Amino acid sequence: MRGYGGWAGKVLRVDLSTGGIRTEDTIERYKDYLGGTGIGYKVMWDEVPAGIKPYDPENRIVFAVGPLAGTSAPCSGRTAITTLWPTCWPIPLVASGHMGGQFAAKLKYAGYDAIIIQGKAERPVWLMIADRKVEIRDARGIWGQGIRSATYSITEIMGRDAVVAAIGQAGENLVPMSVVMNDVSHSAGGIGSVMGSKNLKAIGIQGSGSIRIAGNKEEWEKVINYHLSLLGGNNQHVVPNSPQPWAEFYDPNTRWNASRGRRWGGAAHTVETGSCNPHDKNRIAYRSNVAAHFLGDNAWKSTVRGNGCSSCPIRCHTILKVPSVSSKYGIPAVGQNTCMGLTFGRSFFKKLPGGPKGTISLEACMVGMHMADDFGLWGNYGQLQRDFVKLYYDGVIKKKLSASEFRSYSWSAYEKGDPAFLFELLPRIAGKEGELGTVLGLGTGHMLERWNLSEDMWKKDKALGYWKMGHPRHHSSEETSQCGLLINLMYNRDSQCHSHSNFLRNGLPLPVQKRLAAELWGAPESVDGMGEYTPMHRSKARMAKWALLRKELHDSISLCNWMGPWAASPLMERGYSGDDSIESMLYRLATGDNKNREELDAVAERIFLLHRALTIRGMGTKEMRTRHDTIPEWVYTDKPGKPPFTKGATHMDRDDIQVALDMFYEELGWDKATGAPTRGTYRKSGLESVAGALAKRNLVPA
Amino acid sequence: MKAPIIMQGAGKDNGTEHRDSAAEMAAAVIRERSAAARLVSASEITLLLEEHPEPDTNISGEGVTELLTRLVFDNKDLHALSGAGVQWYYSSRSMTEAYAKVLLQTLEGPVGLVAKTVRHNSRIYQRPIPLEIFEKTPFNLACRQVFDCLTTMAATEGYEDIATTETSISGIYLYSTTYLETEHAIMLAEWFDVGQSENP
Repeated sequence: MRGYGGWAGKVLRVDLSTGGIRTEDTIERYKDYLGGTGIGYKVMWDEVPAGIKPYDPENRIVFAVGPLAGTSAPCSGRTAITTLWPTCWPIPLVASGHMGGQFAAKLKYAGYDAIIIQGKAERPVWLMIADRKVEIRDARGIWGQGIRSATYSITEIMGRDAVVAAIGQAGENLVPMSVVMNDVSHSAGGIGSVMGSKNLKAIGIQGSGSIRIAGNKEEWEKVINYHLSLLGGNNQHVVPNSPQPWAEFYDPNTRWNASRGRRWGGAAHTVETGSCNPHDKNRIAYRSNVAAHFLGDNAWKSTVRGNGCSSCPIRCHTILKVPSVSSKYGIPAVGQNTCMGLTFGRSFFKKLPGGPKGTISLEACMVGMHMADDFGLWGNYGQLQRDFVKLYYDGVIKKKLSASEFRSYSWSAYEKGDPAFLFELLPRIAGKEGELGTVLGLGTGHMLERWNLSEDMWKKDKALGYWKMGHPRHHSSEETSQCGLLINLMYNRDSQCHSHSNFLRNGLPLPVQKRLAAELWGAPESVDGMGEYTPMHRSKARMAKWALLRKELHDSISLCNWMGPWAASPLMERGYSGDDSIESMLYRLATGDNKNREELDAVAERIFLLHRALTIRGMGTKEMRTRHDTIPEWVYTDKPGKPPFTKGATHMDRDDIQVALDMFYEELGWDKATGAPTRGTYRKSGLESVAGALAKRNLVPA
Repeated sequence: MKAPIIMQGAGKDNGTEHRDSAAEMAAAVIRERSAAARLVSASEITLLLEEHPEPDTNISGEGVTELLTRLVFDNKDLHALSGAGVQWYYSSRSMTEAYAKVLLQTLEGPVGLVAKTVRHNSRIYQRPIPLEIFEKTPFNLACRQVFDCLTTMAATEGYEDIATTETSISGIYLYSTTYLETEHAIMLAEWFDVGQSENP
C-alpha cells in the first residue's frame, strides 16, 4: 500500500470455472485508474478481447469501489459494476451499472477495493466474503428464490449485518432486463443476467476492518463539514419547493420538499420535517421526500422515513407504508425505493384511476416495487414501460402474440389501470414465459429485432424517449440542450450522468445559474433556460466535458453522481456557489495522494478515454462520429414548423449539432472527422499502449 | 397575524423575565416572530409595550414609531415593510426579505396574492406554477379559493395577463403573459407536470 489511505489495498479475483481465489495489489495495478469504473474499464481492456459476449465465461463482472467508499465522506456509498452489457444492441459493448446501499462500505471493511468475477460455475453458487475468508458456496438451496428470500438465507449464515448483493429469478433465467440488488432496494440494472450466466446467485460480505484516512484527522473533519454545508436536497437541488423563511428563492419543481407542517405520516409517531434551514446539518435527511415528489402530496401520509446509502445524509429511498395493498393485493404494506424503482409499477399504465398522483397510482408503485425488487427486474430508465405502452396501444402485442397467449392477459383490467395486472405481467417477464414475457425481457434493441420492428420508428417518437443502441436518453437535449445531447452520445447504455442536470434543475433563477456557470465554464452562455435554447457556444462544450469527467470521477472514487457534483450550494452568503474542488479535497486527505482538482480531472479523462477505446475496439471501427455518436430523429423534430432556438421549442438544429460535435471533440482532444481520440491524446493520458493496440487495427485516426 | 407574544431573554431580578428597555423588548418580539415565520406589525408592538408598563417600556403612539425607526436603523437584522396600510417588521436572522414579502402578500387577500405570485414566478423564474402551490404554506389557500380567484380575475380589469394552461394529466398551471410567452408556458407546464417525473 506504500502508505496510502483510502484504498483497502486488495482486489479480489474469483474464477468460478476453476474455483480459484486470489488477491491483487490495488495500488500496483489500478491506482492510476482510482477505483470503480476505472478498475472496471482497465480489467475489461486488459482481459476481455473484442468478440466476447456478455454470457461467455470469459466476460468479467467487476464490482469496484473507490478510495472514498467506507470513509465518512458524504454520498460515498456507490458501487460501480462493469461488464459487457447484455442489452446493448446490436452488439454488446462495455458499460457500467451503479448501486448504492451498504455494499461499497462493507466491501472496503472486508479489505477489498474490487471483486473481479470471471469464468462460470458448474452449478449455482454464491460468494461468501468474510474479511480474508473467501469461499465459493453452493447456492442450489437458494437458486430459484427471489432477492429478498436469498438475502435472508445468506444473512442467516453470515449475520444480520452482512450485506448481500443478489439476483432474482430474472437474472437466473438470463433475462437481460435484470438487476443485482443489495439492501432491499439498491440495484444496478443490466447486471443480473450476467451474474446468472456465471451461475452466481449472490455475494455476501462481512467486513470488520476500517479505512485509514491518510491526512490530518481534524482537516478531514473540517472538509466533511464543509462538504455537508454545500449539500442541497436530493439531486443537489439547492432551493426549496415552496417559500421557506430562510430562503430567498423557491421552485415548485425541486426535490427539497420539507416544510413546516409536512409530516411523515406513516411513521409510528408522526414526524414533522420542519423547514430545514440549510445551516442545520443535522436535518439534511429531512429535506427530501422522493416519494412525495414523484407520487404527490398523497405520499406524505404513507411515508415512514427516508432510507439510503452508507455515509449519505440525503436518504433518497423513501420507505412507504400503505396498508391497503396488503388486503387488496396480498403484499407487504411496507416498501421502499427511489425514482424509477419507486414508479416502476405505475409506469406500465397509460391511465390510472385518480391520475398519477392518486391512491391507485401509489398502490401500483407498491405492487411494482414488491415484484420487481424480488424478481430482480430492470426497467432501463423507464424504457421497458414506455415500450410496453406503445406496443399495446399500437396493437403490436395483439398482432405478435398467439390468440391464446393474448387472451391469457386481462387487458380490460390493464386499460382500466388495475395494479393487479402487474401480477400477470411481471412474473412472466422474470420467467421468460410466453412470447410477451420473453420479448419484454430482452431490452428494446433485441425486442425490435425479434419482432421485426424498425428502430427508426422508435427514434422518431420523442415520447418514447428512446436514444440509441437499445437504450433511452438520460437528461439529454430535451432538457439540457446541446450539453445533455453530447453526454448522451458517449455511452453504450443510458448515460446516467447528472453533473449537468443537477446544476440546471437546482432551482436557482437563470441569472444566478448563469453567474455561477460563467465562473465554472467560462461564460454565461454555457447554460440555457428550459425551452429557450441558444446556439452552440464553446462554453457549452466545456460544460459537457466537465460533466462527463465528473461523472467518471465520481464513479471511480465512489461519490454519488446522482447527488453531485456540488457546483452550486443552498448558501445565500456564498452567492449560491458550491465548490467543484470538494472531490479533490476529500481524495487528497483520504489517500495522501496529492492531486488537485485539475490533476484528478485528468485521471477521470484517462478513465473515460479507456471507455472510448473499449467502445472503438468492440465496434471494430474508429468512425465513432457516424457509427456510434448517433442522434435520434426526435431531437430535431419536436415542433415541426417552429424554428429551433425559439421559446417553447426544445428541438435542436442539425447544423448547430455538427458544430457542437466539433467543439466537443476538440475539447476532448479527439479527431473531429471520426470522433476518435488521437494518438497524442492517448499519450497525454498515459495510454500509449492502448493507442498502440488500437493502431495495429487501424483504429486510431491518422 | 395576531399571536401571543412570549417574552424570552436573559432574566434577572431573581429569574423573573424582564426587559431593560422598550427597544430591547420590541427587538426581541420581532426576532421571535420571525423565528416563528411571522411578521409583526407596529400596532402589535405598541400594544405589547402598553401591556407591559414597566419603567423603561411605558411608551406609546409616536414614541413607538420613533423607537421602531431607530431600531431598524441601529440593528442590521431588523427590517420594515409596508403593506395593507400597515408597517410590518421582521428579522433577517431567520427570515429573508423574499419570504417577508410573500407573507405580506398573504395579508392582501387571495386575488392579490395569486396574481402577484404568478407574475413574480413568470418574471423572475420564467416559469408557470402549479395551482396547488397555493395550498401549501405560507399561502394556505383552499383549492376552491384559488379557483374563485381565477374567476374573479377573469372578470376584473387589471388581471388580463393572468393565464392558465392544463397539462396532459390535468394539472393546472398559472402564468403571466406579460412575462412568459404562451407556447413557452405550455411547454414548461407539461415538462414540470409530466416530463420531469419521467426523467428523474
